[in-house]
Amino acid sequence: MTQASLPNRWNLPDLGLGVGLRTQHFGHITERWPAMDWFEILSENFIDTEGRPLYFLDQIAERYPIVMHGVCLSVGSTDPVDFKFLDKLAALAKRVKAVWLGDHICWTGVAGLNGHDLYPVPYTEEGLRHMVSRVRTIQDYLERPLVLENPSTYLTFASSSMPEEEFIARLAVEADCALLLDVNNVYVTCRNHDLDPVAYLDAMPYEHVVQVHLAGHTDNGTHCIDTHDGRVIEEVWKLYARVHQKTGGRATLLEWDANVPKFSVLQQEVGKASRFRNGARLARPVAA
Amino acid sequence: MHPEGAAAGVAARPARRLLLQAAAKLENVVLPSKSLTSLERLNIYAYMYYARLLEILTNEYPTTRQVLGDKVFERACRRFIERNPSKHRTLNLLSEKFPSFLARSLPPGNRRSLAVDVARIERAMEDVFDAPRADPLAAAEFAAIAADEWHRVRLRVNPALVPLKLRFPANDYMNVARAGASPRMPRPRATFAIVYRRDFKVFRRDQAPGQFKLLTALARGKTLAQAVRSSVSGRGNADRLAATLGAWFHEWAAAGIFCGIERAGSGRRGR
Repeated sequence: MTQASLPNRWNLPDLGLGVGLRTQHFGHITERWPAMDWFEILSENFIDTEGRPLYFLDQIAERYPIVMHGVCLSVGSTDPVDFKFLDKLAALAKRVKAVWLGDHICWTGVAGLNGHDLYPVPYTEEGLRHMVSRVRTIQDYLERPLVLENPSTYLTFASSSMPEEEFIARLAVEADCALLLDVNNVYVTCRNHDLDPVAYLDAMPYEHVVQVHLAGHTDNGTHCIDTHDGRVIEEVWKLYARVHQKTGGRATLLEWDANVPKFSVLQQEVGKASRFRNGARLARPVAA
Repeated sequence: MHPEGAAAGVAARPARRLLLQAAAKLENVVLPSKSLTSLERLNIYAYMYYARLLEILTNEYPTTRQVLGDKVFERACRRFIERNPSKHRTLNLLSEKFPSFLARSLPPGNRRSLAVDVARIERAMEDVFDAPRADPLAAAEFAAIAADEWHRVRLRVNPALVPLKLRFPANDYMNVARAGASPRMPRPRATFAIVYRRDFKVFRRDQAPGQFKLLTALARGKTLAQAVRSSVSGRGNADRLAATLGAWFHEWAAAGIFCGIERAGSGRRGR
């Protein structure tokens, strides 16, 4: 871990370079204990199960720092906050000694139904007040900051009264939550809405940013989809370089969820970030 | 999400009532981009919902799909998703009711019965994958149960086990299908199978009728003596019965089917 030159509000550590933990790599990781600074898990994959994934996660968590990242907290929903689910998140966080936990700035369901997608919210004053209140409630219950990610969005609401980057920056400050800045999502969203990604990045409150995501996407010409199925494109690396300039270093994670390659490919791809980080190399884990 | 896409969804009465009454048209709710109309943008989300859930069902029920054929399977999946929208945070529970949905919605006949059998096995494989952990009893612990204890000994069955009474030899069918072959439609024949997890791997195997009856009696909490009496009474001579029981318990011990011993009245509980 290195100390970031611009500290974040909570002095959360720069964990270095990590990748999303995927089932395809369980065997490789627990046999070889490869060089990787940390892993991010998809929280919901390890809740309500006592099977193989948790068995492997327990071993991996003994050797690598773990960060929990969810997709179902639905902080933008109008459904009541699900405190039973928060209890499950807290129990898992304790079990794996999660360095932090988070989710997305979106809603994923309503009226008890789940769409299993990250739906955008209208960026309005009313929407902001609603989300600030919910994020504060969740943080108070969990007694730790939530680390919330900017989603890739594919539509814009006519009722929005502020740009997405302003909504996110104000949410972070007014709810006093942390941000996971996904630079691939910034690129995808800006392509889909004809926005300037540099202006988007420059609007972020970097003292709230504790983590960065990198990923590949699919460019359909008319729009981009955040598919996490390939390498990071050069334009996204340039955005990452800008974030690094502003922060001096944040925990950086590569997401690769479809057409998942060998672990060595992930190491190579996320390792490219080291060119912006004084050539720092991936570390081998500490023996359990 | 509307099963026929965003256009049908926007035209549906609830959407018109909730969203569009004041707005008059979709463009007043969702802005178009330079290259996509409002409807095309909305359709990205509508498409992804069905695509994601269809992918889950296809991954979980590959042999059911083989029994039904691609078209019938996809049509059944779409109807299932439409009528059983996901209510859980985890997608593992999405298809809990899929086998019973197939039983209710497919045209009656042998193909439906086989498909339901196979779907029940495939669903059980998902269930035991996530089921609670329990360490299996060792063979020596079985051996330590004296014959005069049978009337008060209960065996705790591995929570990661699902017993299935089937109308077809569906487990055999799956063995052939999952080896990459195209099995022929089997004749109906009652079979008994168990699906279970051992060392974090999922297994399935057929059971003899008496063996299945004995195991399910034990799973319901009967003592060893009660379970044996209700399952295998009237079978041949005592030596043959002892040999049969010995073989079954040996098989179950090797498979890790039991995870604890309870001795009624003694206050002793093994693991």
